[in-house]
Amino acid sequence: MSDPNAASLFRLRTEYVKRGRLAYLGHLEVLHTLERIVRRAQLPYAVTQGFSPHMRLGVTSALPVGTSSEAEYFDLFMTEYVSAGEALARLTASAPADLAAQRACYLDVRAPALTAEITRAMYRIELTRADGFSFDADEVRALLDGIVGLGEIPYARGKKRKVLDLAGTLVGFTCVDLEGGGIELLLDTRISNEGSLRPEILLAALDRSLTPQVKREGPIVSTGIQDLAAISRYAICRTAQYVEDSDGSLLSPIRTDETPAAPLTVSSVPSL
Amino acid sequence: MRTPYENRFPELEPLLARVEKPSRYIDHEWGTRSSAEADYRVCLVYPDVYEVGLPNQGIAILYAVLNEQEGISCERGYVPWIDMADAMREAGVPLLSLEGAAPLSSFDVVGLHLPHEMACTNMLETLDLAGIPLHAADRGEDDPLVISGGPSVYNPEPLAPFIDAFLIGEGEEHIVEVCRAHERLRDAGATRLEILRELAKIPGTYVPSLYEVRHDEACTPHGYTVPRAGEDVPEVVHKRVVADFGATDPVPQSVVPFAQLVHDRLSIEVLRGCARGCRFCQAGMTYRPVRERTPDQIVSAVMRGLEKTGYDEVSLTSLSTTDHSCCPEVLSRLNRRLADTGIRISIPSQRLDSFGIDMALQVAGEKKGGLTFAPEAGSQRLRDVINKNVTEDDLERATRAAFEAGWRRVKLYFMMGLPGETDEDIVAIADLADRTYEIAREVVPPAQRGGVSVSISCSVFIPKAATPFQWCAQTPDDEVKRRQQLLLRSVRNRAVRVHYHDADTSLLEAVLSRGGRDIAPVILGAWRRGARFDAWTEQFDLSRWEEAAAEAGIDLREVATEPFDLDARLPWEHVSPGVSRGYLLREYRKALEGTTTADCSRTSCTGCGVCPTLHADNILAGERA
Repeated sequence: MSDPNAASLFRLRTEYVKRGRLAYLGHLEVLHTLERIVRRAQLPYAVTQGFSPHMRLGVTSALPVGTSSEAEYFDLFMTEYVSAGEALARLTASAPADLAAQRACYLDVRAPALTAEITRAMYRIELTRADGFSFDADEVRALLDGIVGLGEIPYARGKKRKVLDLAGTLVGFTCVDLEGGGIELLLDTRISNEGSLRPEILLAALDRSLTPQVKREGPIVSTGIQDLAAISRYAICRTAQYVEDSDGSLLSPIRTDETPAAPLTVSSVPSL
Repeated sequence: MRTPYENRFPELEPLLARVEKPSRYIDHEWGTRSSAEADYRVCLVYPDVYEVGLPNQGIAILYAVLNEQEGISCERGYVPWIDMADAMREAGVPLLSLEGAAPLSSFDVVGLHLPHEMACTNMLETLDLAGIPLHAADRGEDDPLVISGGPSVYNPEPLAPFIDAFLIGEGEEHIVEVCRAHERLRDAGATRLEILRELAKIPGTYVPSLYEVRHDEACTPHGYTVPRAGEDVPEVVHKRVVADFGATDPVPQSVVPFAQLVHDRLSIEVLRGCARGCRFCQAGMTYRPVRERTPDQIVSAVMRGLEKTGYDEVSLTSLSTTDHSCCPEVLSRLNRRLADTGIRISIPSQRLDSFGIDMALQVAGEKKGGLTFAPEAGSQRLRDVINKNVTEDDLERATRAAFEAGWRRVKLYFMMGLPGETDEDIVAIADLADRTYEIAREVVPPAQRGGVSVSISCSVFIPKAATPFQWCAQTPDDEVKRRQQLLLRSVRNRAVRVHYHDADTSLLEAVLSRGGRDIAPVILGAWRRGARFDAWTEQFDLSRWEEAAAEAGIDLREVATEPFDLDARLPWEHVSPGVSRGYLLREYRKALEGTTTADCSRTSCTGCGVCPTLHADNILAGERA
């Protein structure tokens, strides 16, 4: 980072959730809400220089409308040090409960951006069968294996034809029957510059495999929440995001073991 | 039986997947203030979609005032966009409040905000989606009381059959009195009629069902409205004015949306009322007298409001903010306080004479978007007719200063079809725009001229109730279209862009502004034919209205274009903003002579009648320049 002021800034990373009805917020809506939370928390946020000054805040990759999350992150650049514990308390008091901050830590101002650092995302999907369907987890697993075997899923986004590269983005999945009657799907996905896996496209492909008898026109369309035939409802939650270490181990983006960019006299580096 | 008050979000949630912008319907925003346990519930509805309605300051004020009250809970409602409304009808989900996701029909009071005439079909859409009978006369003991208020109540007659009670004027004290009286009567087991009769005794409350329309004296084809025989209700309902504007909370706004809105910012009402006396302007007549907040109150309100909401922009709102006697002081103090925060200050309306470019610079900072000036009419003669006390020199000085200070985009706002307008006045609009462009060429360095933009925005004059032009006809729509073409041809400089308003919409606005109770069936008929969101140009379709009018035996063009006799009783004179008929008549005659009238907040009383009638006064924080 070539910012001349970087040396005098502090970088606070916060983990927060997106759940309940707030899962229906779009990415930009979440971004604006985070900025408002920071202002209400009266944190000493840094402002970009230039024509249109704005808060220096970085976020993780966009979460689709309707998808909840147990592990989202934002990095806030600040001009003064506020202990991570106090910053967390102030953020929590200023946020709707369904976007509550969970943990916070300081990290090196020059560390890579969240979007560059995070390369793995885990998802939990709960499916409810539509009336008249009786498929179980084993069947879903077999169908998904078939889809994965094809390597990619063609879909349309607006007028553009695109391809979801499963070989590159899906690390693995598990599938089990839930006691309440639904089916739970856990996805381990990879995020890179080449792309990421949007779980709804995989679900739409699964739905087509489950209902080969239903005639559909055109490819899967990636807009908003999917209207499916064999699945009456589904809930998607991003359960974790990770930074991959050089040896392949998964690290939390909240790194409490690193030296924070905080004054050395400060002894209480947040744990949690 | 009254519909139970219960959370029905689970019925709405499956529909969210199928509609655009689901965040319109989810609630759970920061700063909501309703309480689930209250015994008396109000739902205030803005008759448009969430992102248009949420910034409304009137609702923010009443929401704050009602939720302050012990035992009263106020929630909000908006009109679902077409996709959601259709999905809700199909799924059998009634219109729900936002906070409690409870059916509107379960509330004690449903309050419909009336921001402008074109909202009328959305009011019916609201009632229908809520399952509340459209006509007040068809509502039973278990149906909510349907009240309405807002800027557009000064001709309530076209909506009279649909509303139980109109609250005329400033509502912050009034609505509490109405709700408390309603609560007491409800608890005492009063019937709907008994309740309405009692509410009509509260000053400022117009209960249309206790009045009737008559035609026996000299009047317009729409008749005039008087108390029904035997009803103990006032012949003229005067608007309410708050006892002490300065004592009201300057930061009523609390709800911070997730969705990005049209006006996504903190609003602080720095003054109320405008005494400029532009003769076409309804707000200028109906928001009197002029009351300013003090600079200290404004500055502390801005800081407190920003802290409470987390917004990155604050707008100092009023009908004419730069008229505030301490505007420069307020701006410089705020600029000091907000330095290096990235928080912007904005001012919604501006005038050529008072909006010094100094003030514009204080607001704009580094980023200079466009500046809008509103000469309203092209020629000095016509500006004198409408009492827009702005000269061509004022305009030239202001635009020159704006281009010199670095602005490159200037928009000029005009009205077409003003009383006494001739083709020369239209050509004068073009001349003014051409002159503005020439000034830009003189002032702006050659290398930057590519960025220069001068545009004209030309709306159609609508004669409004309670203004000196209330007797005037609207210019026929085909003539408006001819003048629009004349304007297009008259602009010599091709760089000047011309935008004009749709003549169809303007025709209907005039019908709704000038008509009486006889227009109600037309509104109903248009809504039955699918009219809703009529304020959205792409949704508006005049043919629905023409069919509805034909069915009701009404000629829309006749209603819009027939001038009223000066001695005829008008359809709206039983409702008054306090401005006397004598004053309006005097102003009308002065308009015909081209004589102007001064601003009473800068000179002396001009005798409009508001202060003595409403027992109020202009209150300024300093000397006005």
